[in-house]
Amino acid sequence: MAGDAIVAEELTYRYDELVAVDHISFKVAEGEILGFLGPNGAGKSTTVKVLTGQLQPREGKVTVLGIDITRDPEKVQAQIGVCFEITNLYEKMSAEENLKLFARLFGVSDFDAGALLERVGLAGRERDRVEEYSKGMKQRLMVARALVNRPSILFLDEPTDGLDPASAENIRKVILEERERGATVFLTTHDMMEADKLSDRVGFINQGKIVALDTPHNLKQQYGKRALRAQIAGPDGGLESREIIMDQPETVEAVQELFGQEQVVTIHSEEASLEDIFIDITGRGLTE
Amino acid sequence: MSWPIIRALVTKDLRLFFRNRFFAYISVAGIAFYIGIYFFMPSSVDEALDIGLYAPVLPPVFEQVQGEGLLIETVDSIEILEEGVTEGLYLAGIVLPPDIMEKLAAGNKVTVDVYFASDTPQELKDAVTNLIQELAYLQSGQILAVDISEEIIGPDMLGRQIPPRNRILPFFAVFIILTETLGLSSLISEEIENRTAQALLITPMTVKGLFLAKGVTGVSLAFSQALLFMIATGGLNQQPLIILVTLLLASLLVTGIGFLLGSAGKDLMSVMAWGLPAMIVLAVPAFGVMFPGTVSDWVKVIPSYYLVDTVHLSANFGLGWGDVWQNLLILVGFDIAFFGLGIIALRRKLT
Repeated sequence: MAGDAIVAEELTYRYDELVAVDHISFKVAEGEILGFLGPNGAGKSTTVKVLTGQLQPREGKVTVLGIDITRDPEKVQAQIGVCFEITNLYEKMSAEENLKLFARLFGVSDFDAGALLERVGLAGRERDRVEEYSKGMKQRLMVARALVNRPSILFLDEPTDGLDPASAENIRKVILEERERGATVFLTTHDMMEADKLSDRVGFINQGKIVALDTPHNLKQQYGKRALRAQIAGPDGGLESREIIMDQPETVEAVQELFGQEQVVTIHSEEASLEDIFIDITGRGLTE
Repeated sequence: MSWPIIRALVTKDLRLFFRNRFFAYISVAGIAFYIGIYFFMPSSVDEALDIGLYAPVLPPVFEQVQGEGLLIETVDSIEILEEGVTEGLYLAGIVLPPDIMEKLAAGNKVTVDVYFASDTPQELKDAVTNLIQELAYLQSGQILAVDISEEIIGPDMLGRQIPPRNRILPFFAVFIILTETLGLSSLISEEIENRTAQALLITPMTVKGLFLAKGVTGVSLAFSQALLFMIATGGLNQQPLIILVTLLLASLLVTGIGFLLGSAGKDLMSVMAWGLPAMIVLAVPAFGVMFPGTVSDWVKVIPSYYLVDTVHLSANFGLGWGDVWQNLLILVGFDIAFFGLGIIALRRKLT
């Protein structure tokens, strides 16, 4: 059985009077992808900063790869990769130079920049200066930089934010490949579909507190409503919609009545999205 | 902190420094310019005072003093004399009356007219006046009843007047080092504003390592360029070890100042806005060497004074450790103060 890559216990961080992260506790297993979801200002980025040793927790304890992050941050940082939300590359250097610099800082001797750039779809542009790259290319290079040291844990902060669909899909593919390699992935995102698709578990954070943490399936089971949505032919030749809530005592009777008495044109099962569940739990949307 | 990490960061910084066209240009072109100006400046000292003289009757004493630091040129008319003073050919123009010899012999008072250009310093006016009085005494056979005993305080520079090119040497050396303050602070401020420092600090690179790497970059840039200039101009011909130590201490000083400016600035423009006034203040002591008498004692509160003074004394007069150790000690004190302040400011900004 896999051990825990990240353990946070009663983790708290304050910016002066503002409590950004409020006594949160969670574990992330080795090889797991945890989607960490929440609106702007919910505490996602602060949590990542504490987990990666950029900020010292005011209260609580964080263990990453079995190491107390407050005691030996350098040892942890040697084994993790971080992709920041805001692009912070050396723009006057080429993609290859950027990656080689970080390989040297991590002490990676057998580093192959070309292969890594090919993985993120930047083959052929290795020697171009980053200032000549598009936003999507820079974002892909950010992900590549986070992989330079073959990290045991990958922290990705909004890695596909603002990317075109092809670039976003490329990054998702890389994330899944990293999980296959055995890396743990801590993924913060606004994109519910992405979180649903990639994450083994998702955690919802709101106003500094974790309000839900489970697999997407379990969250949907627990909080979402399942329904059948049908389109039937109306008396005037038009289409009418009908919705039947599932898992209710009267569900079977309602389905029988639908097919017995109406002319069903289309019928779909419908389940709640993670966004619906987030709104249901917190009363606010993810983009607020 | 491992050296391969420091080396990687220093290499990166030097690469970025020379990819910044502005700094690459002012570094390379600056050194070439300073070296060019140095060799263009006169390499010998003209110690003679050119004085014009109109004298219908020339007293013999004026012929006797010719060549003893005085170049006295007689002219045919007062008009020519006035023109010569106005055009700067003569420091002063002396007009002797036709009856000077008779009046001196009779013990009567003689009036001598002296012309000066409007911008002649008062010290020179006084010197010429005293010279004429002394010559008059000599001519009349009266010796001043004063014995003058000379005692030199500090190193005796008699006969060691330095040519203009050597006088400008410390100024250029200081200016080259000061210019690198802007380069380093620009690298630091960009690292902070572009958040690349944040990316560096999530690797095995520590804040301490980052300071060390930036320090090595700053000192390398400043020291190597000043050294190159000194070698090219022969500035290391006398007391090379003292000059090398002084340049190293100066490089440390500007690196500390670079840390301060880097933490205050946001980009190249704001670094320039903070850095140029600082550079001007730090360059003031060098003007004191170039133009003696133009600055007062207050200049000693400026750290670069001790750099300029030491380079001047050692490179131009060959003075040794015994004469400059106090300067070097004060320079070390300023290094510690500015480096400490720079690190505190930068640490606050980074964390």
